[in-house]
Amino acid sequence: MPDVAIGFDRISKRYRLRHGWYRSVRDELRSIPRRLFRGVPADDAFWALRDVSFEIERGDVVGLIGPNGAGKSTLLKILSRVTVPTSGTFTARGRLGALIEIGAGFHPDLTGRENVYLNGSIMGMRRREIEAKFDQIVEFAEVARFIDTPVKFYSSGMQVRLGFSVAAHTDPDILLIDEVMAVGDAAFQAKCLNRLSELKQQGKTIVLVSHNMANILQHSRKVLWLQGGVVRGYGDPDTIAEHYLASVREHAESAVARDEPGQASASPVVIETVSLSDPGGHRPKRFRHGDAVCVDVEYAVRAAVADPVVEVTIQDGHGYHLGGITSRFDSVKIDTSAPRGAVRLTLQPLLFVKGDYTINVHIRDAAIERYFDIKKAAAILIVDGPSIASRELSGHIVYPHHWETL
Amino acid sequence: MTTRYASELWHHRDLTLSFAMRDIKARYKQTVFGVAWAVLQPLSLMLVFTMVFSRFVKISTDGIPYPIFVYSSLMFWTCFSMTISQGTLAIVANSMLVRKIYFPRETLLLSIALSAGLDVLIASLVFAGMLAYYHIALTITVLWVPVLFLLQTLFALGVICFTSALNTHFRDIGHGMPLALQLWMFVTPVAYPLTVVPQSLLPLYLLNPMASIMDGYRATILHGTAPNLTYLGFGAAVTLVLTVLGYLTFKHAERTFADVI
Repeated sequence: MPDVAIGFDRISKRYRLRHGWYRSVRDELRSIPRRLFRGVPADDAFWALRDVSFEIERGDVVGLIGPNGAGKSTLLKILSRVTVPTSGTFTARGRLGALIEIGAGFHPDLTGRENVYLNGSIMGMRRREIEAKFDQIVEFAEVARFIDTPVKFYSSGMQVRLGFSVAAHTDPDILLIDEVMAVGDAAFQAKCLNRLSELKQQGKTIVLVSHNMANILQHSRKVLWLQGGVVRGYGDPDTIAEHYLASVREHAESAVARDEPGQASASPVVIETVSLSDPGGHRPKRFRHGDAVCVDVEYAVRAAVADPVVEVTIQDGHGYHLGGITSRFDSVKIDTSAPRGAVRLTLQPLLFVKGDYTINVHIRDAAIERYFDIKKAAAILIVDGPSIASRELSGHIVYPHHWETL
Repeated sequence: MTTRYASELWHHRDLTLSFAMRDIKARYKQTVFGVAWAVLQPLSLMLVFTMVFSRFVKISTDGIPYPIFVYSSLMFWTCFSMTISQGTLAIVANSMLVRKIYFPRETLLLSIALSAGLDVLIASLVFAGMLAYYHIALTITVLWVPVLFLLQTLFALGVICFTSALNTHFRDIGHGMPLALQLWMFVTPVAYPLTVVPQSLLPLYLLNPMASIMDGYRATILHGTAPNLTYLGFGAAVTLVLTVLGYLTFKHAERTFADVI
C-alpha cells in the first residue's frame, strides 16, 4: 500500500460571492427574510473546487498547473489548512510548511533579528529551533550587516530574501511552494533552486505551484492539472503538460474565432484579416522550428492617415510578452491611399521552441498617440521542433548557436 | 476535540510569546514617552475623575482617598479595556497572516492579554508610590490579586473570542467597541464603590463579572479584607460559561476566517 502524505477525497469549496470581503449588519439583516424563504440563492454561490480527489505519496514532488481562476489558490489554502473545504475530506500526514507569499508576518518596526524569531514561530518553529538555525537563516538571506536594523529600512529584495530564508529553514515533512522561483535576483534564485533540490533529496513531499511551465517540468515528478475547479489530469509531467498546452491553444483559437472584424468602426484604418503562411503561399497548421513564417496583415482604409505603423507582437501560451516588431523599425511605409492594403512580416528562421504562440496586431500612429485598431490573439502560431520537455532547453527560443570544447 | 485544541496551542506557545513581544515592542517603538504610556492613561483618567467625583460631586469611597481609590481600579480597567478593544480587532488586523498561514488563531488573542498584563505591571509601579504616599499598608489579602487578575483575563478572553470572530463578518463590532467600553466602565464600580448600587439592581448589576472583580481588587488591596465570595463566585460562574462557549465558538468560526476577512 502506498504511503499517502496528502489525501483529497471529493473535496468541494464554495464561496459566497455577494459578501465579497465585508458584510455589515444592515445588509445581513436585510437578507434574512429572503434567505428564510429561499435558502442561499444559487447565484450567490461560487464553487472554487468541485469534487476534487487525488493522493500524493510521501516523497513525491507534484506540480500544480492551471490557468488563473482554476482553483489553485483555493486548493493551496485547503492544503495549508488556512481554510476548510465545504464538503469532502482532507488528510495530511506530517508537519506542513508553506512558502506562500513569504514575509507576510514581518512587522516593519521590528529589527531583522526580531522578525526572524517572529516569522519562525508563525511558521511553527520552536524558539530553540530558530536559535539553532539563526546564523544559517541570516547567511542564506545575505542580510547579516542589517540584522539589527528595523525591517522597514530594508529594500524589498532584502525583505523577500529574509522571508524566504526563514521559510526555507523550517523543517516540514510536506512543503507547499507558491511561485518562489520568481524571488530575488539571479544569484538568489539559484540558491533557492538548490535548496529545493536539497529538500527533494531529503525525501520531502513537495507541492509546487508556478506559472513557469519549465520550472514545473524540471522539478516535478507528477503534475496535477486543475481547471474550472475540477481535476483535468494527474500524472506524468510531460503528458499532462502537453494536454494542458493543447487546451490553452484551443481556448486561444476559439477566442480568435469570436473576435469580430471591424470593431473599431470609427477608426480611419481597420485590421481586416491576419493570416500565417509559409513563403510558398501554403497555410500549414503547424510550422517547423527553423523554417520561415509570414504574418500577412490586411487592412481597410476609411480615411487617409499620415504614416500609420503596423506592429506585430508575440505572446506565449500564458500571455507573457515575448517580443514585438513595428513596420517603422524597418522603415516600411504603410500605404493608405487605396481603400485596402496588405503588409507582410516574415520571421525567418523561426527560433521558437515547440509550443503555441499568440500573435497580436496593432495599427497606430507614429507618435503612439492613437491606436487605430488592435487585434488581440489575431492568430495562433503553432511551432514544432525541439521542446523544453527534454529539460535540455528552457525558455522560449533556441538561439542560433554552437558549442565547442576548448 | 478540546484536547487537540489544547495540545496544538501548547505546541504554539512560543508563537503566543512572539506575538506578545511583537505587540509590546511595536507599541513603544518610535514613541517619545515609551513605556510611560502604560501609566499615562490610568493616571490622566485618575486626575479627571478625582476632579469630577471628589471636587464637583462628592462620592463615597468608604474612607479611602479618592485618587488612590480610583487608580486602584483604573489600572486594571485600562488593561481590560485595551484587551477588549485590541482583541476584537486582532483577527482582522492580522488578516495578511490569517489569509496565508495556519496557526491556532487564539494565539493572537492570548498575546494581546499577555501584553496588556505587562502594562498593569508598569502601572502598578506608580501605584506602589501612591500606597506609600497615602500610608496604606498592604495585608496578606493582596494575594487575592493574582487570582482576581486571572479571572479578569479569562473573562476578557471569553469576550474577545466572540467579538473578534464576529468582527470578521461585521466590522460594526469593531467600530462599536470603544463606545461599548465607555458605557461598560460606568456600569462597573470603577469610579464609585459597589456599595452605592441599589440593592434591587444588584443581581442584574453583578451579571457583569467585572463588577465583582473590581470590588474584589479594592477590598483586597485597599481594605485588607477578602473579596465578597458570593459576588465573586457568581462572577466566576458567568466567566466560566462565557469563556468555554466563546472558545468553542471561536474555534468553529476560525476555520473560515480566511474566507471572510
